[in-house]
Amino acid sequence: MRTATDIGAGMRLFLLLAVSALVLVVAIAAATAIGEYNIPVRTVLLTVANEFGLTAADVPKIEASVVWNLRLSRSLVAALCGAGLAICGTILQALLRNPLAEPFVLGVSAGASTGAVAVLVLGIGAGAVSLSLGAFVGAFAAFAVVALLSNGATSGPNHTILAGVAASQLFNALTAYIVTTSASAQQARGVMFWMLGSFGGVRWPQFHLLAIVLLLCLAICFLMARALDAFTFGDEDAAALGIPVARTRLVLFAVTALMTATIVSQVGAIGFVGLVVPHAARYVVGPVHMRLLPASAVLGAVFMVIADIASRVIVAQQTVPIGVVTALVGVPFFAIILYRARPQT
Amino acid sequence: MNTTKRLGLLGFMITGFAGVPAFAAPTSYPLEIENCGETVVFEKAPENAVALGQNSAEIMLLLGLEDRMAASAFWPNDVLPELAEANGKVETLTVEFPTLEAVLQQQPDFVAAMLTTLMGPDSRVAKRGDFEDLGIPTYLAPSACSTSLDTGDAYGSRDQLWNMDLLYKEIDDLARIFDVQERGDAVIADFKAREAALREQFPKNDDLTFLFWFSSASAADDAYLGGGNGPSGFIADLLGGRNALDTKAEWPTLNWEGIMAADPTIIVATQVDRNRWDLDKAENKIAFLENDPTVSQMEAVQNGRIVVMSGAAMNPSIRTLYGAEEIARQIKAFDSGE
Repeated sequence: MRTATDIGAGMRLFLLLAVSALVLVVAIAAATAIGEYNIPVRTVLLTVANEFGLTAADVPKIEASVVWNLRLSRSLVAALCGAGLAICGTILQALLRNPLAEPFVLGVSAGASTGAVAVLVLGIGAGAVSLSLGAFVGAFAAFAVVALLSNGATSGPNHTILAGVAASQLFNALTAYIVTTSASAQQARGVMFWMLGSFGGVRWPQFHLLAIVLLLCLAICFLMARALDAFTFGDEDAAALGIPVARTRLVLFAVTALMTATIVSQVGAIGFVGLVVPHAARYVVGPVHMRLLPASAVLGAVFMVIADIASRVIVAQQTVPIGVVTALVGVPFFAIILYRARPQT
Repeated sequence: MNTTKRLGLLGFMITGFAGVPAFAAPTSYPLEIENCGETVVFEKAPENAVALGQNSAEIMLLLGLEDRMAASAFWPNDVLPELAEANGKVETLTVEFPTLEAVLQQQPDFVAAMLTTLMGPDSRVAKRGDFEDLGIPTYLAPSACSTSLDTGDAYGSRDQLWNMDLLYKEIDDLARIFDVQERGDAVIADFKAREAALREQFPKNDDLTFLFWFSSASAADDAYLGGGNGPSGFIADLLGGRNALDTKAEWPTLNWEGIMAADPTIIVATQVDRNRWDLDKAENKIAFLENDPTVSQMEAVQNGRIVVMSGAAMNPSIRTLYGAEEIARQIKAFDSGE
């Protein structure tokens, strides 16, 4: 019986991955072709082919730059961030055995924002490196606060979520304090835009940074997939299975903080993806992490690329913050999952 | 055809070599401009410029460049009435932040920006490199980048009072870029004369303090004010007074108790045209000041010393001088009435 379920889940994972990968490619292609600047599909194709060295066609410089430097880099960054946030959510939900756990809810995004805003507004250091470093310090500070408030990482999962809510409030307040006391009118607006997340400033250097950090973190997570399964049964069961509980937990928390901090520092705090996508993935492939992690990653990527296309085309000549779109698109979707997953009575 | 060309070239060479001493020297291209720590090279005068931000657009319009502008974006206030007709020839992409694709769609050969949020290292709209990679020269307002050069803060506080010199540099740079120095010199001379006239009419007066009220989300909310070393402080200084607020923040928010404690002698109620909140409108600000039982007890309100100014004057821009003149007229009306 159990074997049959596993085979079913395996098939479903295969189908999900195959379909999602196809959808992801189509979505990235669409994101590269769609935009305010009207560019013929032929030009788009030739630009990409040129960049890969397949052709040497004559393409207008501005159009080629829009396709390659603005759209393609941006959609790939969106895919990476979606995958990363979904993985973070999956891991935190397993570690804390709480379906509401994700970087945003636990205050990690808020902490990363505070760190980044401090660098941005107060002018501590300069440039992208210090911004990421600020976000990273902030993310870890938030984690420390959550750990302290929830009395180490050993107390109940609900406790940790409440601690996360408190940490979110604290760090959002600190961010608001920095902004109100130091920022100008334009800056306050810029920071707000940034706190809701945006792929607007993204180019190839951001992609390279995210690709290195996220691929490394994702690899570590996959290596620990079995441990994550054990955590979902509780710490004692995990220990009984021979898993070094404290050390594994620390490594996974650190990896989550690193991923979140890197993402927040580059594109701002984007909520919802880490919360919803793991549930959707679990609904399709079940709770086993060897399947759940890749399913979450690819679903998160697809969701984010599509959400980014929406954010660019909803309002003409303006970009709606990506956090707004993820929530507007994601909440109805989440409602369906909640509704279908309700206990049978 | 060939002869005409040759004659034209000859004429150009004569005027070019002989020089025309009565006028400012024409730009010789390629032109190198130092701007915000970067060297920008112009191979020729721009013919299809995009202005990001009201101030950049209004300076270009003052220089009579509407035929060489493709588009503009980001307009917190309406355009100066005397520039409205010229501005009608230029497409407005959006009164808010535009997207980089919308800007590039204009095939610009020059992009000038008013704020680092519109074009700067941390901007979500565009970075200078985005344009430079395409061979499109850029220009960032010295008023905008001076804050980051002064204090390491990309947007906010300055370490010294803003003044028109930064703006004159901007006008002069843009005039040289477009090869309209004569027009640029005339605009600067006009502004300098107007600035000097105000200084002369308003000697230092230690008892004169200004409160600059930009807007509030609601009457109950803290007010959004002008402070620090920004243009509001410059206007107060130009009119012989000082800002009633000592805060370093350039755009502080403050509750009415704090405002009453600051006890300004003149309250500046600005008119903001974006219409986001009721209190963007000057008339609503005045109605609140006069009707709120507590706030109406302030000395400035009791003495009827409330003046109206365009909100755009509170940004570092050509509008700052217009705002100072607007207030000057109203102060003189008080003084002559008393």
